[in-house]
Amino acid sequence: MSAWSKPAWPIRAAVHAFVYILAATMLVPFAWMCSTSLKTDAEAIDVQQLALLPAGSVSDWKWGNYVEAWRLAELGDVYLNSLIVAVVVTVLSVLHNALAGFAFAKLRMTAKRSVFIAMLLTMMLPYQVYFLFAYILCGWLGYVDHLHALIVPFLASAFGIFYMRQSIITVSDGLLDAGRVDGLTNFELFWHVVLPSIKPAVGALAIFTFMASWNNFFWPLIVIDSQENFTLPLSVAALSSGLYVQSWPVQMAAATLITLPTIVVFIIFQRIFVQGLALTGMKG
Amino acid sequence: MSVRSSTSGWAFAAFPLAVIVVFTALPTVAGVALSFFEWTGGNRPNFIGIENYRAAILHDPQLIHSLRNTLIFGVATVPITVILAFVLAVALKAEWFVGKTTVRTIIFLPFVISIVAIGFVWRWVLDPHSGLLNMGLESIAADRMFADWPVPWLGDSPWALGTMCFVHVWRNLGFCVVLYLAALSRVPRSLYDAAGVDGAGSWQATWRIAWPAVRPMTLFVVITSSIWSLQVFDLVWVMTGGAEQPWTDVLNTHLYREFAANRLGYAATIGVLVLIITAVITVAQLRWLRGSTEAAS
Repeated sequence: MSAWSKPAWPIRAAVHAFVYILAATMLVPFAWMCSTSLKTDAEAIDVQQLALLPAGSVSDWKWGNYVEAWRLAELGDVYLNSLIVAVVVTVLSVLHNALAGFAFAKLRMTAKRSVFIAMLLTMMLPYQVYFLFAYILCGWLGYVDHLHALIVPFLASAFGIFYMRQSIITVSDGLLDAGRVDGLTNFELFWHVVLPSIKPAVGALAIFTFMASWNNFFWPLIVIDSQENFTLPLSVAALSSGLYVQSWPVQMAAATLITLPTIVVFIIFQRIFVQGLALTGMKG
Repeated sequence: MSVRSSTSGWAFAAFPLAVIVVFTALPTVAGVALSFFEWTGGNRPNFIGIENYRAAILHDPQLIHSLRNTLIFGVATVPITVILAFVLAVALKAEWFVGKTTVRTIIFLPFVISIVAIGFVWRWVLDPHSGLLNMGLESIAADRMFADWPVPWLGDSPWALGTMCFVHVWRNLGFCVVLYLAALSRVPRSLYDAAGVDGAGSWQATWRIAWPAVRPMTLFVVITSSIWSLQVFDLVWVMTGGAEQPWTDVLNTHLYREFAANRLGYAATIGVLVLIITAVITVAQLRWLRGSTEAAS
């Protein structure tokens, strides 16, 4: 315990101050975003005075900015697109990765070792070198400017398979043998024995996959052209380049509508988030 | 192979592996091959040998700028991220720290928000005329400290590169803090207790015990954040509006522009350069950190 003995109070105060200032830095941009979103255009760009809150009482604030932002950026459709893509990708890719991970961890497979190593090598490849032909391929398949292009290439991932394999390998063989004696097929073993025993890892991978899909920008920018197929990041980028509207308050209202759900979801699930990501780093 | 089975594992692994082969492995091979061709996507590709590489090194100043900026990005952000994340994790681990969970939540927050949205919000905060930062600086009369006021935080100047490095660190810090928190909680108590016998204070415990003990995590954080800085695109694209500028372009924005201009062979060449840099940096860091671990033990 003496190693963690309390330092003198000035040091403790300094450490607290430092950390709190850093934490405040994390919040200030979002607070400013919310504040701007409720101002009038004139207020927002009033350089004479720095107003932290919009003028007037709460009912005077320009709540209409939100209505305008929602309508102009067609956020309803954009949300739906993002949600469809992220949910489908998460469910299917976690399932596929877990199945392949099970095969690599516990099943007989011709050339298992060399295939596994080859797969690990693909994890090192930067997307800059393969996105070109992935795009051309999507063109041949008729996926360009279609949500398919955001789903099909992501139905499995080398990282996901690797991560699932590392977790499944810790499941006891005795448990699997017992299931086998009971006459379970490989798939039933996977479903009833393996999956329930690696729930935390599955949760972590699901969160990771969902976030990656929800926030992906480069690939949608490459393959999606029409606004009706935009996902959130594309829509934000279009907003920030002033495609729909030049008004900062309306833009910030849109930014709030886009970031707020993520913030709320994160705060609700933060335990799983943080533990899951810590778990990911541990395996990596 | 403890489970004896009639169905091969291939029944489960075939489809997932096919996805990786079709959308990652084969396109990589084709991409490397394409870097030796000139192709606009229409007619047949035209084989030109190493001409793309020659052009990249000799006749593309913007590529050299973007390479320089990308390297500055990595050199500036990786050490800052690692040190800050470790120090924060140690502080949040200390028994006397007040508000651990709240601070951890707040610091992690930017990591879950899309980089595009983050770039967008920061653009407003950093707006030269009506942004919070410049207005705040003016209100405390700090603007007199700058030669060129208002500071173009995101214009074409070294400021912009610094600004984007800052936002990059700001966004990724929380993730690394959480990784270090996990690593620190796996450091056995006995290590500290042994040091406690020698009368080590908490400063020494941090740097003599905890820091070496979390070295494997440091390796992971260094490699991950180096790769992040090589892959940076979203942030730069949104914060600069995709403008082609010597002080803000990075490899990926340059690559995207070449792709969008249908110079596919040349775009592939830049992709291969990124691949080579990634491989060199990863191998070098693995060697260096492994080597210094052995030297320490």
